[in-house]
Amino acid sequence: MKASVSQQQLAHGLGMVSRAVSPRSTLAVLANILVATDDGRLRLSATNLELGISCWIGAQISEQGAITVPARTFSDLVNTLPNDTVHLELNPATQSLNVRCGMSNTDIKGIDAQEFPPMPTPDIQDGIHLNISDFKEMIQQVAFAASTDEARPVLQGVSMNISEDAAVLAATDGFRISVRRAALSEPVSKPVTAIVPARALTELARIATDGDQVVTMVMPPGRGQVVFHMKDAELISQLIDGNFPDYRAIIPRSFKGTTILTTNAFLKACRQAEIIARESNNVVRLSIQPGGDQPGKVEITAQSEETGSSENFVEATVEGGSLIIAFNVRFLREVLEVIKTPSVVLMTNANNTPAMIQPAGDDTFQHVIMPMHLG
Amino acid sequence: MSRIEILPEAVASQIAAGEVIERPASVVKELLENAIDAGATQVSIQIEQAGRRLIELSDDGAGIPPDQLRVAILRHATSKLRTTEDLFHIDTLGFRGEALASIGSVSRMKITSRQPEEAAGGRVVVEGGAVRTVESAGAPAGTVVSVEDLFYNVPARLKFLKRDLTERQQIDALVTRYALAYPHIRFKLFHDGVAALQTSGNGDRREILAAIYGVDIARQMLEISFSDENFKLEGFTSPVGLTRSNRKEITFFVNGRWVQDSSLSAALLKGYHTLLMIGRYPLAVIFIRMDPTEVDVNVHPAKAEVRFRQPEDVFGKVQRAIRRGLLAYSPPAQLVSQGWQTQLPPLNQRFISRQIDPAWKMATETQEAPAIVGPAFEEGTQKEQPALDALPAGDLPLLRLVGQVGSAYLVAEGPDGLYLIDQHAAHERVLFEKWLRQREQSVPAQALLTPQVFQVPPQISGMMTEQLPALEKIGFRVEPFGPNLFRVLAIPAIFSGADPVAAVMVAVEDFEEDETPLQTELEARLAARICKRAAVKAGSVLSTEEQKMLLQGLEACKSPRTCPHGRPTMIHLPIDLLEKQFGRRGSR
Repeated sequence: MKASVSQQQLAHGLGMVSRAVSPRSTLAVLANILVATDDGRLRLSATNLELGISCWIGAQISEQGAITVPARTFSDLVNTLPNDTVHLELNPATQSLNVRCGMSNTDIKGIDAQEFPPMPTPDIQDGIHLNISDFKEMIQQVAFAASTDEARPVLQGVSMNISEDAAVLAATDGFRISVRRAALSEPVSKPVTAIVPARALTELARIATDGDQVVTMVMPPGRGQVVFHMKDAELISQLIDGNFPDYRAIIPRSFKGTTILTTNAFLKACRQAEIIARESNNVVRLSIQPGGDQPGKVEITAQSEETGSSENFVEATVEGGSLIIAFNVRFLREVLEVIKTPSVVLMTNANNTPAMIQPAGDDTFQHVIMPMHLG
Repeated sequence: MSRIEILPEAVASQIAAGEVIERPASVVKELLENAIDAGATQVSIQIEQAGRRLIELSDDGAGIPPDQLRVAILRHATSKLRTTEDLFHIDTLGFRGEALASIGSVSRMKITSRQPEEAAGGRVVVEGGAVRTVESAGAPAGTVVSVEDLFYNVPARLKFLKRDLTERQQIDALVTRYALAYPHIRFKLFHDGVAALQTSGNGDRREILAAIYGVDIARQMLEISFSDENFKLEGFTSPVGLTRSNRKEITFFVNGRWVQDSSLSAALLKGYHTLLMIGRYPLAVIFIRMDPTEVDVNVHPAKAEVRFRQPEDVFGKVQRAIRRGLLAYSPPAQLVSQGWQTQLPPLNQRFISRQIDPAWKMATETQEAPAIVGPAFEEGTQKEQPALDALPAGDLPLLRLVGQVGSAYLVAEGPDGLYLIDQHAAHERVLFEKWLRQREQSVPAQALLTPQVFQVPPQISGMMTEQLPALEKIGFRVEPFGPNLFRVLAIPAIFSGADPVAAVMVAVEDFEEDETPLQTELEARLAARICKRAAVKAGSVLSTEEQKMLLQGLEACKSPRTCPHGRPTMIHLPIDLLEKQFGRRGSR
């Protein structure tokens, strides 16, 4: 292998795939990045066997070939190289990669590319095409609600439901659920249901640059995997097997109280309350007070034995009676952070029933949070 | 001086009965064994008021001929043994011929029986050992023994019965175990008309395990089998990830008889050597069949103990069988707790080429490593602690964090030397004291989106129902949801993010340990258990901020030097000691 690439692109590509490297694996090759020539471009790939990321960068290739090199060593080196052309050359006899750039000349010992787990090449024709920036927004609004508890694998995933002309993403950790719907630009021929690890989607949102217009999702039949293919990058993930909770049954149909708040003011108040509340199990109390003739307000209080107490008022349009309801402030903050509209609607019934948060005037995003009981 | 006299028959039999029948569960056991010896395929047990009011057991076994009913209730009357030699190869559960006589002498007992081939059956009624009536009677094939008002004539014994709940638990534990041992017999157990256990009698033990422990646990249990000449062992034992805090769920049957033999369970535990954390015990049901001449069952009146002719040989076989079973299943056992990884094997086949298969397996295991390393670390602390500085109680000096070692310990410097802190134990203490402070107010609970239903073994179920208020006080909302079923609606906020059912199970696991803990003590104990579960584990890498937070939290504790379970949170190496060890002072 003999190739020349730009240092900037190489560093960017390595940053992208490094997240899939599994540094502590006993399978040494998983700590490496595959560097290979591929149809006139240079391909970089890494996998931890659950998640695999590849990216392609433009290169001048004068000799085909492939090698894997330790991820840490290679990216640390490339990051310190000058912004110039990097010349890569494989020495097949020693299985080492010569990296030359400006005045610097380094040999990195590698492992034969044959040992790198082969990545499936999906048939992109079969795939579902999704608009990148829309899909990224969907992921951001949903994936954070997934559980991190390894004992409940299904809840570590995001349920993807694609039928005809709409896609629905949902994630829950058992205490809250985030559901986001979106219309598809082109209808799909057959419906798709799958549970994709939240971590894989978060990585996808990270590597998908808005410049790529379309991401193609392919599920090769019978493999239990999903491939997200973009122009210059590809992400492969294992699917999670199991039954996802039925979110249609969880989301309440009607609410007695509707409170409209300014998203930013509400978020800010929650962030302040969290500073105090994190010492006391993240409990905050929301006191929703209808104003009658004047505008109503929501009082957000947090109290901690050790740290102190905090009170915040946010003006609000309140329909329905007054209510005091307690929440995990982290749940509130996390959902408010992904709501893009200037106003947000908080819908409630009672202090022991689920509450829902929605962007004002947009019912494609629904987030249900269970309140806390204060004994 | 009083004259020496031979006791009247009635008194003598009451005394003798005391050896065999000490509580309602013993009656159930004797009757159950008779039914099994009679070749029953169906056994139905009705219990009222935990056996004080009524114990009625009906079977479809061989039955007793009407003319022998009167003999059957006499002491040392049995159909199972004829000569002394028979004693050494007993293959029935009973043989002494004492059960019915003993039960009859301390209750009002009625036996109705018909042999399947006969048209009519007979009935005998016994009260306090005296035969009231013997008559012929129509009856379904088999035998129905009903024992009413147990111990009505032995008030002393009655007084020593435990609470109904406890007696019920004893009966439940007994019947569930026999149901496991005799999967071909269809068992039904009713308490005051409510079904506590029903098995189908189709011979599938796993199905019975599911009826007792719930489907999840039943699925995880590992099947063990081992046999050689004259010795056959089979049964189920739990994978290393599935444990209890006591030995109560370890059950042995030898030649169809439930025995409580501590050396057998010791052999089983040896099979788990180094795989279990200290203070954790597996669940196991093990059935041993061996030559009757190799085992003496005539040791204990209730036959709960047996003597082996070659004990070492038996224990060795038990240990080997368990170990082998465990090792054979080991990888899947660990996967159970990490469901996501169960997704991996298909990938293993397709995603990576075959020759690196074994290495990949190792890769999975290393990901599991912290879980195994953790306990080992803990073991180390415990052993070393006594050798080092005994820690005085009381406040901690201000500590300066130095760093983390082995992702399990923090190193800190104080004015008087070096402190090594066990991060798990320390966090446990911090959480526990936080809970103590919060208790004055109330513990916040996080509600669940959808209630989660779970099953508990029958013997815990009653205790669970009784302790629901205590659970509520520490932040659980749990409600009954059917026989042996409960559902959890909310869990303590401290647990947010964890599996709700696992959280409840942590709390209730050793409900049965003590029968009547004080309420406040129980709450504290539950809280301690919860803190243990919620605390950071050994093996997790902490950021510097987290380490500092933990140190600060510990400094704020009232008794920072031990965890709520009494293990040390820290080891102190005074400057003096360091100087001595380095030969700077004193040792020259």
